[in-house]
Amino acid sequence: MNEILKTTKTALIVHSDMSVLSAFQSSFVSKGYVAILARDLPTALLALTQHFFDVAVISSRLAEGGDGWPLAGVVHLIFPKAFVGVLTPETSVLTLQAAINNGVTQIFDAASNPDHVVNTSLGSQQTGSTKPSAEPGASIQ
Amino acid sequence: MSQQPSLLIVDDEANVALTLQMVFEREGYAVRTANSCAGALKLLANGHVFDAVITDLNMEKENIGLEVARAALKLHPKPAVVLCTGYASIDNSAAALQMKVDYLATKPVDLDELKRAVSRLMAFRDQSGQENEKQ
Repeated sequence: MNEILKTTKTALIVHSDMSVLSAFQSSFVSKGYVAILARDLPTALLALTQHFFDVAVISSRLAEGGDGWPLAGVVHLIFPKAFVGVLTPETSVLTLQAAINNGVTQIFDAASNPDHVVNTSLGSQQTGSTKPSAEPGASIQ
Repeated sequence: MSQQPSLLIVDDEANVALTLQMVFEREGYAVRTANSCAGALKLLANGHVFDAVITDLNMEKENIGLEVARAALKLHPKPAVVLCTGYASIDNSAAALQMKVDYLATKPVDLDELKRAVSRLMAFRDQSGQENEKQ
């Protein structure tokens, strides 16, 4: 895609809870991003066919536990330079393994403040790197 | 892919390295092995180009495989980097995530899964490389 034509950055937010979606939307919009929201996998897949995403924040649990991981993997395959963050209810070796194997940039605790998640993801975008800026142990907020 | 893809396998257990070498050579890869982090770092520093690196985590020291991964991830072109371990912990897995290791496989390794993962990562790497060249 021609970078000159694409001036507005776009974020994908996928979560089954409308109030969480709304909070993330407000936070991304306040930073000048266009926020595309999806409450389920089909809507998220449709969004992937219609937008170019710079950032994605995805819940690890959509319809059932763990179904957000493969979606994160798909986002990474389509947009390899995008920051892909996953909200997860627990931190375990299996969670971290799922993150690595799906190309996720960073995981966050499901209860994280949306502003914190958004600031972290945009900070990563601005430095031109999708590497997490936090220490290994702190990458799980 | 026109050339035979190259693979570095690093494991301090010679039998594991040999088994993986045989498996991947049968898949058409040109395989080099190292039985220590030091040996792997020497190969990586000597200008050998690898399309993928599979490394054990605990060898001379605990988590020293992360040093192999770190060195591999600094190369240009960057190989696909796979960590194989029977001792995954939150700390070493979080470190691997932060370093952007491409794949974490837990021992006992499912060989079909590992072959699929390496093949997929290399295809993705080739495609991403072509995209970068276009830009």
